[in-house]
Amino acid sequence: MEKILSLTLKPDSLKTLSRFFQQGVLIKTLVGGSIQDLLIRDLGLTPEYLETRIQTIFLNGKAVDDPARAIVRDGATLALSGAMPGLVGATFRRGGTYASLRQAITLTATEEPVSEREGQVILKLFNLLVPEIGPLVLAKGFWITGKELDTFVENYPGNFWAPWAPVQVAGKDVDVQALGKTIWSPNKEETVLIKITLRPNPSL
Amino acid sequence: MDKLLRINMGADGGPKASEVPVGNYAGMGGRALTSAVVANEVPPTCHPLGEDNKLVIAPGMLSGTTAAMSGRLSIGCKSPLTGGIKEANAGGQPAQVLARLGYAAIILEGKPKDDTLYKIFINKDGVKITPDNSLKMLPNYDLVAKMKAEYGDKMTCLSIGPAGEMKLGAASIACTDMEQRPTRHAGRGGVGAVMGAKGVKAIILDDTGKTMRAPKDPEKFKEATKIWVKGLQAHPVTGQGLPAYGTNVLTNVLNEAGGYPTYNFKEGRFSGAAKISGEAQAELETSRGGLATHGCHRGCVIRCSGTFNDKDGHYLTKQPEYETVWAHGGNCGIDDLDVIAQLDFLDDNYGLDTIEMGATIGVAMEAGLIKFGDGQGAIKLIKEVGQGTPLGRILGSGAAVTGKVFGVERVPVVKGQAMPAYDPRAVQGIGVTYATTTQGADHTAGYAVATNILNVGGQVDPLKPEGQIELSRNLQIATAAIDSTGMCLFIAFAIMDQPETFQALLDIINAFYGLSLTADDVTALGKSVLKNEREFNFKAGFTKEQDRLPDFFKKELLAPHNVTFKVKDEDLDQVFNW
Repeated sequence: MEKILSLTLKPDSLKTLSRFFQQGVLIKTLVGGSIQDLLIRDLGLTPEYLETRIQTIFLNGKAVDDPARAIVRDGATLALSGAMPGLVGATFRRGGTYASLRQAITLTATEEPVSEREGQVILKLFNLLVPEIGPLVLAKGFWITGKELDTFVENYPGNFWAPWAPVQVAGKDVDVQALGKTIWSPNKEETVLIKITLRPNPSL
Repeated sequence: MDKLLRINMGADGGPKASEVPVGNYAGMGGRALTSAVVANEVPPTCHPLGEDNKLVIAPGMLSGTTAAMSGRLSIGCKSPLTGGIKEANAGGQPAQVLARLGYAAIILEGKPKDDTLYKIFINKDGVKITPDNSLKMLPNYDLVAKMKAEYGDKMTCLSIGPAGEMKLGAASIACTDMEQRPTRHAGRGGVGAVMGAKGVKAIILDDTGKTMRAPKDPEKFKEATKIWVKGLQAHPVTGQGLPAYGTNVLTNVLNEAGGYPTYNFKEGRFSGAAKISGEAQAELETSRGGLATHGCHRGCVIRCSGTFNDKDGHYLTKQPEYETVWAHGGNCGIDDLDVIAQLDFLDDNYGLDTIEMGATIGVAMEAGLIKFGDGQGAIKLIKEVGQGTPLGRILGSGAAVTGKVFGVERVPVVKGQAMPAYDPRAVQGIGVTYATTTQGADHTAGYAVATNILNVGGQVDPLKPEGQIELSRNLQIATAAIDSTGMCLFIAFAIMDQPETFQALLDIINAFYGLSLTADDVTALGKSVLKNEREFNFKAGFTKEQDRLPDFFKKELLAPHNVTFKVKDEDLDQVFNW
């Protein structure tokens, strides 16, 4: 049975969690479909949001022009960015006027979708998309190793954690500092599902 | 802006200033003016540090007006770094103040007969040139504090640090910002060395008693500026991304693309990128009481800059830009924003181009002087430059010289100037601009992403390979035109996507000057600037063989995509074939 770590954090903690998203979070989802499928069907974004806000997409480091035709396979890394400045911002914009400037690293394969199955994807969010898509990903949950959580707890002690909302593992309250021992000991490489709700202190 | 201020630093009896009408340069501003003066008046084969070179300091066509974003300053000369024509561009206050004082340009000519150092004060009453050897080897922050004490808190300052006085190839000219800090630099090409060769330490400007420049048609101008500002604020890049994260927002994207030059252009990805990204930088700055959103001059509505405080919450430097964070960060394997901010401060203080110095330290690391990732070692090397030690003078002469001295093959320069933060193997179209621009490797030479709306060169199919040559040409033309207006290049995104915002820009120019310019006229302006620059370089001895990237880009595979630069030489030769 999968272990679930539930946290409630203050809304402004999202900024602090930004590095997680920049480095990439592991999500479990259906793979074998298109980027568009993953973002709209699985993640719950609207087609309009995809069209207007997600200006730059990388699949395994290659720039994507058509998210409806790029297939996400198991183990893929998908990175999403909002509008970017400068020539490079324009160059990486999907389907943009300056796309030819980066043709050496453009995803050109036009594969047919393969049969879909459960798989893993590393999802990276950059800049304006962190506050916009981040809460959605946090609520659905992402997978994290014990090592990663240790670093996280170490870097963000004290007031980062919302004192009014206890940390729960499988529905039971636990002490933040003892998280590692509670879940992972002794295997720090094992992953667990972490779900985060962003909520202000109700008593304020 | 109907007069030029010519100052002959080598005149008999000491420097002499004369105000003259703009004459044949009427209607020109910014880069159009600096390049026209250099092309017409500087012998192309002269020594860049000699008496025949000229330093031209020109605000843009719209500087000194109420038009938002119009505060860019162009500084032109024959470059000691490239040996070709140079236009280095900076923000800060000087463009606005100089324009309001009525000058289309200051032109420093000749050379003092001894090593006396001068300061030049300009206000509504005229020009005063004073010898002041007490300023010798003062770093920029100390110098500006002294000038402020002497000339008051209304002054704006252009200055050189020790690097300029030592006439080093990486020397910049500092421009003060709204807080009177020397944070904005005309960095590229060694323009600071030319100012040093003219014996000028500082130019102090005060526009007290002068008013905003008045448009020919005030009503139309006012209406157009309203639409202009609204357009800039509505666009997600100029209204959201840049204000929130600054230019360093590019770090993550370039890194993800595998086009982030790392370890002196050895790799395309840096494992520490997330630690030095724009997102991380904005969070750190605000958590220490600094600002992640701040303009570099009055009238800036994009506000892509900020202030970086140290761990104790004290001001350390302005928000380091993407190019700086890359040059001193990923390029050198350094993933500590505090170290990068210190290096940024030192560069500004000594008067050094951050791109050139980051690339140079990368080459020095390649040579084994210090290890990649050694932040304290990098700080020590930059301090050597400021102190003028023999090693420091080598490093301060730039990446090409440092590579030669230490026998390094992987030296990322074109025409002697260090390459900015985009690996041309991953983003090959930018490589075309790096190779062919008149300026030496320069990302801003083809930066004005507005070619579609200007219809420069017709419509290009973005997905065809030949588009790279055509787009680079069109971008260079559009950029040369925008550089002449005094407008910040970041406006390009809004005018690319929003036709009404581009029209507003044209309306601003037309209402101000009583003209009826069209997009075609803007294109013609860009072409004429490039023509002047190409001709100067040709006469200075440049051939098509200089329009090339270093060999290693064609031979060494760049991870993670394992690509080399594939654009053919004969295609590069077509860039200026219009």
